[in-house]
Amino acid sequence: MPFQRAFHWLFAQDAIIAAVVFGLVVLVLTGSLLLSRRRRRRGQGPSNRTEANKLEISYVAALLGVAVFLMITSVIANSQDFPDPPEPALRVQVIAYQWCWRFHYEGQPVTVTGQCEGGPLPVLVLPVGRPVELDVTSTDVVHAFWVPHLRVKMNAYPGHTNSLTVTLSHAGRWIGRCAQLCGLYHYEMDFYVQAESPAAFGRFLRARGGTPAGVAR
Amino acid sequence: MTARTHAAAHPSPAEEVRDGLPQWLLTTDHKRIGLLTVGTALFLFFFNGAVALTMRAQLAQPGQSILSPQAYLQFMTMHGTGMIAVTITPLALGLGVYLVPLQIGAPRIAAPRAALLGYWLYVAGAIALIWGFLTPDGAADGWWGYTPLSNTIYSPGPGESLWTAGVFLAGTGMLLQGGTTLWTLLRLRAPGVTMLRMPVFCWTQLVTCLMVAAAFPALLAADAIVALDRLQPSLFSGNFWNITYENMFWFYGHPVVYVMFFPFVGCVAESLSTFSGRRFFAYKGTVLSLLVFATGSMAVWGHHLFASGQEVNDYFSVTSIFLTIPAGVEYFGFLGTIVGGRLRYTTSMLFALAFIPQFLIGGLTGILVANPAIDYHVNNSYFILGHFHYTLFAGSVFGFFAGFYLWFPKATGIMLRERLGKLHFVLLVIGANTAFIPFFFLGYDGMPRWMASYPANAGFTTLSLISSIGAGIIGLAMMVFAYNLWISARVRVPAPDDPWHGYTLEWRTSSPPPPYNFDLAHPVPRVRGYAPLLDLREQARAAPEHRGER
Repeated sequence: MPFQRAFHWLFAQDAIIAAVVFGLVVLVLTGSLLLSRRRRRRGQGPSNRTEANKLEISYVAALLGVAVFLMITSVIANSQDFPDPPEPALRVQVIAYQWCWRFHYEGQPVTVTGQCEGGPLPVLVLPVGRPVELDVTSTDVVHAFWVPHLRVKMNAYPGHTNSLTVTLSHAGRWIGRCAQLCGLYHYEMDFYVQAESPAAFGRFLRARGGTPAGVAR
Repeated sequence: MTARTHAAAHPSPAEEVRDGLPQWLLTTDHKRIGLLTVGTALFLFFFNGAVALTMRAQLAQPGQSILSPQAYLQFMTMHGTGMIAVTITPLALGLGVYLVPLQIGAPRIAAPRAALLGYWLYVAGAIALIWGFLTPDGAADGWWGYTPLSNTIYSPGPGESLWTAGVFLAGTGMLLQGGTTLWTLLRLRAPGVTMLRMPVFCWTQLVTCLMVAAAFPALLAADAIVALDRLQPSLFSGNFWNITYENMFWFYGHPVVYVMFFPFVGCVAESLSTFSGRRFFAYKGTVLSLLVFATGSMAVWGHHLFASGQEVNDYFSVTSIFLTIPAGVEYFGFLGTIVGGRLRYTTSMLFALAFIPQFLIGGLTGILVANPAIDYHVNNSYFILGHFHYTLFAGSVFGFFAGFYLWFPKATGIMLRERLGKLHFVLLVIGANTAFIPFFFLGYDGMPRWMASYPANAGFTTLSLISSIGAGIIGLAMMVFAYNLWISARVRVPAPDDPWHGYTLEWRTSSPPPPYNFDLAHPVPRVRGYAPLLDLREQARAAPEHRGER
């Protein structure tokens, strides 16, 4: 699953760098408080020095190095999320509307929906181990398709389709949420993503989305 | 600020400046325009803060109905738009209107009537915004006002129209004030005050006003789109207009976060320098970094649209990460100043010191979310709320208080109570971190923004409750602050002209300064550097027989 993989290595890398930088700044901050105390004890005044150009230039060079590294890893991770994909065998239209979701399996007479506002949530059933192209769109305002477990989010615009390809590695069921303010019941616009074995997925398609069309919250 | 009854007995020109309400409301004195702007914004800070506390009460437990979904979204819209358009931006620019002429030895602001008009447009905007908030179906679509949600099909009722008008008016007002400060900085500097002898605060104001001039017109144009869309929803239907609006909005929306940041960097820089007993370190590098930062800020707006599927993500990721460099140079200046200092822990200094690590959390998480691959997950989640509350609250608001405690005696002639100030500081540190650290974990765990409520089984309960407790502590801290203002104004300790041994020109004049800032008793001294009063003190120490400025 590209989004998960890229997220995890990049998040770990950048979080470690951020923690080190934070630690260094806190160290210098604490050090300056201690130095100040020593100055006070010894009756010394503050330093008169107003610049340290050589140090500053080396510091900027180091910053530039870190920044370039971060830029490169950002672009690499983004390219992992959106590779030139092989023609996926399965395409599913993800249609957002105020305030629920509709999933239409292309080439199949199968459309799944639900009643988000306190009723049964719609379930996006997908096969394990097979690339699935999700074509995300909206029929009214801007929404966003977000499956936190999969570390992926894509805005849903009226009159425009955004595509992303996901491959689920194992069976399971995860919550999905709308992540763009879309009006009154934005906070209840949830759904499930359910990964099934290819055989179970085949049975689901044959049953024309009869099961499981909606699962009580 | 009571009316002077003896004014008629002394009909000298200076005494004709009376303190009645009309004289305040129609003033052309930049100090009064600045105080009106900062005072109004501070009042709205309490108002929008109370709005936020109500939201935190609603979210303290799952499934509560303290606020209906409609009311919650109205509160959220008021909190967001209110804090950004009519609170923090006017605090940032109002400080400039007040301080910039004083710091550059100017008797007035350029185009004072434009600055005053700016204040009144801002007040009109704030009134329109709050008026809309009080209508039963007020604006409920957040501070972004994204189309088509903001049109009359999805947001009928006058609330959204008033929101649009309010944002437009306040934006125009701030544009005018930014323009006058910029003109003042460029044209009214006293003899000897070259560009590279301006205090760091003035430089932060200069780059802020440049960003205001470059970015705020985009807000006005974006608001015009919303307004026309509300008159005729078919006019802008279709994806093209929606994504155009989003780009135009963020063309304003990202620079404005630096507008709400740089002036407070200036406050922190002046406070750190004054209370470290030394000139600000690496001044030229800091000035250069501010200019680079402001320039770069105009090229990063697309990182708000990583999940739109319609943005050049790699480009905006690279430009955003580039800003690490000027931001790092600013930290070099902060840390270099205190490393060589002998520190005095006044309330202002405590706020300035806390700004350093707290803003850093906002800055470093900002680098994380500048990566599309990370942003696809955390975008529009509580993680983003954590990121920008650390920059705007734990950063900018702390910087504002560093400046507020520093300059309050100058502006009013009254000292604030230091003990209450320190209590305010301690409570605010505890409150801010308790309220906003949980946001990162909530967002990582999958909690979207803008949720009016959440189910009990979502796993958001504990962290939300902790955050709400933190918000309550912030409320307590602000009560202490309000009490400090009240008691200090009631039982007055008069402020000397230079209570902190400051380095910049405003400390050479009286507290509060006379109508035209400097007079015969308080002339503008000779300026030879960006810390002119420190230069004079060192000169006097070196050659005691030539005491004073020639």
